Amino acid sequence: MHRFTLLAFAAILLSTLLFTGCSAPGEAHAFRQEALEFVLEAPLFEGPNSGQIAWAVELPSALGMAEGKRVTGARLAHATVQPGDSLGFSQVRSLVLSFASDNADIAMQEAGFKNPVDPHAERVELEVASDAELGDHVAAGKAYLVLDVDLAEDAWEEGRRFLLDFTLEITIK
Amino acid sequence: MLRTFGLLAALAVLAFGLISFTLPTQGTPGDELLGVWEPSNGRARVKIDRIGSKYYGRIVWLIEPNDPETGEPKTDKNNPDADLQNVPLKGYRMLKDFVYQEDGTWADGTIYDPLNGSTYSCIITMTDENTLDIRGFIGVQALGRTDVWKRLAMPKK
Repeated sequence: MHRFTLLAFAAILLSTLLFTGCSAPGEAHAFRQEALEFVLEAPLFEGPNSGQIAWAVELPSALGMAEGKRVTGARLAHATVQPGDSLGFSQVRSLVLSFASDNADIAMQEAGFKNPVDPHAERVELEVASDAELGDHVAAGKAYLVLDVDLAEDAWEEGRRFLLDFTLEITIK
Repeated sequence: MLRTFGLLAALAVLAFGLISFTLPTQGTPGDELLGVWEPSNGRARVKIDRIGSKYYGRIVWLIEPNDPETGEPKTDKNNPDADLQNVPLKGYRMLKDFVYQEDGTWADGTIYDPLNGSTYSCIITMTDENTLDIRGFIGVQALGRTDVWKRLAMPKK
């Protein structure tokens, strides 16, 4: 009977240790990326137009990750867009930023947006989707960043350029 | 003789030009899906693009672009993620992450219904170059519904 009690106690202790080990929050890191340029080539049409960038990042070196550590989660913490040309935000009604991947198991995720956009602003801060999980995109080390720009009018001759700065909050365990 | 040769050469150039104009260019396999498509209810138009190796469709036209209650452009107010409910519906990607398959279908994607905020598994089959069967389903394909979409514009070359 005494042995049974000892074994039960050991089992409870072991499961408690395992549980707390699994639920440890991990290390949070901020990763900042600046001046990613989206080019929308003319002709552009009234309505949504897209620019995309193939984004690659070597996280282990960028974050100084120790061997054996891995990304367990990531979310967009902050993002701003500024015009990359003299047209500013004129005729821009809204902006949406999404993350996509070539990996069939990683779905596209909208991460931030601004609607409406102040046409006189010099820089626009996106509203971030706090539940949008980007861990798989970040862990893969490669993603496509897509900026959807909703234009109020056609632009047949002149394309548009926008610059994106963003900060990811990345969790590593 | 010279005149005959010139005539033949002109015909050859003309024929080559016609063939080049008629045949689709050899792009990435699966790119025949690119273009603007209209669902059977005619209430929206969806432009399908490729991002990397996958295909996505976003709403580019709505028969009723403004919310009748507010008079403002419709937003994705039924999105289960409350943070995204102010994203404009026009421009929203309702088809996501389709991968071209060897059997000529585009699979592994999802279709989003903005009327109820639900996302379904989806497979796309091109029955002819201007017609798509869009089958949304939950779990297995047998438990689903197929809508027929028609092409509105030629694929982007």
